[in-house]
Amino acid sequence: MPQIPPQARAFLDALVAAPPLEWYLVVGALLFAIGAWGALVRRNAVVIFMCVELMINGVNLTLVAFADHLPNAGGLGVSYAVLVIAIAAAEIAVGLAIVLAVFRSRRTVNVDEVTSMRG
Amino acid sequence: MAVSGQAFLALLPELVTTGFLILVLMVGVFGERNVGLTAGLAAFGSLAVFGSAAGLLLAGFEGSYFGGGYAVDGFALYFKLIVAGSAFFAVLAAARWSGNTGDAPEYLTLILSVVLGSTLLVSMRDLFGIFLALELATIPSYAMVAFDRSRRESAEGGMKYLITGVIASSVLLYGIVLIYGVSGSAELSEVANAFSGGLTPVALIGLALLISGFAFKLSAAPFHFWTPDAYQGAPTSAAAFLSVAPKAAFFAVLLRILLEGMPEAAPTWTAVMAFLAIVTMFVGNLFALRQRNVRRLLAYSSVAHTGYLLAAFAALQGGGAAFAVQAVLVYTAAYAVMNLGAFLVIDLVGEDAKSYNGLIRTNPGVAASMAIFMAALVGIPPLSGFFGKLWVILAGVQSGSVLVYIVVGAVVVNTVLSVPYYFGMIRNMLLEEPTTETGRSKGAGAVRFAVYTLAIVTTLFGLLIIPLSTLTRASGLL
Repeated sequence: MPQIPPQARAFLDALVAAPPLEWYLVVGALLFAIGAWGALVRRNAVVIFMCVELMINGVNLTLVAFADHLPNAGGLGVSYAVLVIAIAAAEIAVGLAIVLAVFRSRRTVNVDEVTSMRG
Repeated sequence: MAVSGQAFLALLPELVTTGFLILVLMVGVFGERNVGLTAGLAAFGSLAVFGSAAGLLLAGFEGSYFGGGYAVDGFALYFKLIVAGSAFFAVLAAARWSGNTGDAPEYLTLILSVVLGSTLLVSMRDLFGIFLALELATIPSYAMVAFDRSRRESAEGGMKYLITGVIASSVLLYGIVLIYGVSGSAELSEVANAFSGGLTPVALIGLALLISGFAFKLSAAPFHFWTPDAYQGAPTSAAAFLSVAPKAAFFAVLLRILLEGMPEAAPTWTAVMAFLAIVTMFVGNLFALRQRNVRRLLAYSSVAHTGYLLAAFAALQGGGAAFAVQAVLVYTAAYAVMNLGAFLVIDLVGEDAKSYNGLIRTNPGVAASMAIFMAALVGIPPLSGFFGKLWVILAGVQSGSVLVYIVVGAVVVNTVLSVPYYFGMIRNMLLEEPTTETGRSKGAGAVRFAVYTLAIVTTLFGLLIIPLSTLTRASGLL
């Protein structure tokens, strides 16, 4: 069996080990920020919904990471995450119905073209 | 842990709402599309919710259920009364209109599900429970705003409301998750432990996101921009109901989170509330000044009233704290009756400001009621709005903080600022000549009954103030 150099072993160990909490939080915050950015700059209502989904998934990742790391949270945090997924689905179901209603009357779902009310 | 019979009693208003919700929907699915029957059931349902909450309140029923996540106290029951009462008037206003659309059961079901969400919300003591109930109250409200298929503005207002609403929900949820992560539990009593002493950066970010999310939902400036479009597009009954009932519940639960969950961080959040209150008051009133559409005018006026209520939140410090809680309770009740009434008049007259010219000649009863609501929204003494503002100002004066004195000054300045547009409406109704556009009576006996009843309650609010203030003093919070 060939000898593995200690540096390489340390590198492999770091790869296999569970990442610390902060990494999950950073990824979750990045997902949230990308989603928020998209929701603010994109014009198509359906794309905005996709961005909102990204925001909610970023939050959910944060939630699950916290639930896994907190000492006394138990399984409660993970069950909250399931409820959040259900809520996101309900929001999008109502949202797509409303977008469809807008599309029927105007033939567009671009939010900057749907502006009959001002002031 | 077994769920005892007590827990069912505690959930009585919610169980009654759920029952009538299913009943109304099922009558629509299986029965004939009889508007009288469904509207009657929905109206009776909201009265039953009102009655069960009033019964629990009179019986002095208090307790904490489901592992401490659900509280029944005077505070929660008080807001359940406001929600159920305004639902009753919204159902009366919606009956004829929703019957004409042919979708009465669906529309009334949406109203009842907002009631269910709001009544659950005011009792929640767990951050994730709060989020669930809040979404239960807001998701049907998107559909309510977009419900009118005969007007293009309805779907547009619904879409704007929905997009800002879902973004606000995810911001709020992020705040809740960060607070949960910092404190290790979502229960408000344990959150309070984490928020004692110095705040960590993560806790501060969580608090900021939570307050921003609520500011969106409450239409506080600078997060108010969806309000005029949503209320202009929405059916009148939806605009009237959504500007009162869920809003009262959001204020109640925000108060509960701040007082039970983070009392020791009060210096931080009262400063934020003071800033929000001042900006919101000025934005609401200044934009309302140039509106020619009565719906938009009332939408901006509701933004301004959110500002006055937030002023009470800023006063939650020092010697004024207990009084500030009372101010929130009194103000929401006062605001509920006058704002519901003002919105429902639109159903009888019209949304163009011109259609109110000379209304006193063609339709004296409705004109007098509208004048009462407008004067109440300004805060003229014997009417309901006066007592709300008086309580807010007294709470601010007792708080002993310079920042709150500035907020109280802003309340007074804004009351003066709001005089031109409210009194402009009264002037047009009294002094202008009736034109061809002046609203004719459109029948609608139920709406008329609702408007007259609300006008009487607005006028006689002063008689309610003594029982109300004893009730609010025993409200449980503080």
